[in-house]
Amino acid sequence: MKEVLILIPAYNEEANIKKVVEKLINDYSEYDYMIVNDGSADSTLKICRDNGYNVIDFPINLGLECGVVAGMKYAYRRGYKYIIQFDADGQHLPEYIAPMYEKIEEGYDVVIGSRFVTKKKPFSARMIGSRLISGAIKLTAGKRIKDPTSGMRMYNRRCMEAFSKEINYGPEPDTISYLMKNGYKVEEVQAEMQERMAGSSYLTLTRSIAYMTKMLISILIIQNFRKKTN
Amino acid sequence: MSLVLRIFLIVVSFISIIYVIRRIRKAKLRIDYSLFWIIVSVLIMLLAIFPGIAIKLATMMGVMSAVNLIYLVMIFILLLHNFSMTMKISSLDSKINNLTEEIAIREKMNTEKKEEEYDS
Repeated sequence: MKEVLILIPAYNEEANIKKVVEKLINDYSEYDYMIVNDGSADSTLKICRDNGYNVIDFPINLGLECGVVAGMKYAYRRGYKYIIQFDADGQHLPEYIAPMYEKIEEGYDVVIGSRFVTKKKPFSARMIGSRLISGAIKLTAGKRIKDPTSGMRMYNRRCMEAFSKEINYGPEPDTISYLMKNGYKVEEVQAEMQERMAGSSYLTLTRSIAYMTKMLISILIIQNFRKKTN
Repeated sequence: MSLVLRIFLIVVSFISIIYVIRRIRKAKLRIDYSLFWIIVSVLIMLLAIFPGIAIKLATMMGVMSAVNLIYLVMIFILLLHNFSMTMKISSLDSKINNLTEEIAIREKMNTEKKEEEYDS
């Protein structure tokens, strides 16, 4: 068994999953990988089974949070040292796993693959939300996270345990802020990201606004009242 | 309270009691969940049959009319009930998520175990 498990939550990703997983198997055999098929309606599961990929299969669709939590539970029980959340649509690049691994080995609990450590964040409409969430985290947790919405995050066993045992641990910026407030050490490492290869993005304008609103309310208000964790 | 309103309330609460009981007879509703509706319906019926209760309470609390007091109390009861429903749904949601995750993980770990046994 390897030290790092690459967790790939997949929902209706038949167009991309094969390319993403083949690349990991062929060029990155130093890591294990696990797909979580979140009740896809398309042939995602069939592709995984036909090619003999490692896959945890949900009989129904539960949403990203549960896909990640299931991966955390699996990794925790199997004894993996670290788990990294990795998109099935080809946005994340596996060459950035190595620097994230080096960073987390220094003793961090969470390492984020961030687009804006060495590069500047553009002043575009899409980044307004990112800036707001960044600001909210800085305000409540005291440290600036430059790319809070990046989905490429590596967690250690302490996080796996927390995600497995309690509710309200989603793979979202509000959880990052909560963890930081509870003394978890979070760091960022520069990582490039690509546009998704095929299929349409889940985030429309309405959904983006709803997401930002939920995150801001959660980070600024709700997280302050949650019980402390260790 | 006008006579029309009283008759209306009696009829509505009577129909809802019958409806809830029929659901239970057809095994479509658990008794635990029916209690709230039975109690509320009976309360409304009592208030409609004996309007004196509401009028007396309204004067005691300084509310202008008995109907206003009934509205206020009803809205409050519905809000409380709605919140308890939200709690229930949230807990069911967590349970379904947990169960589904458990089933999927156990299935995966079992196949892995079989493969290991097969290999050795």
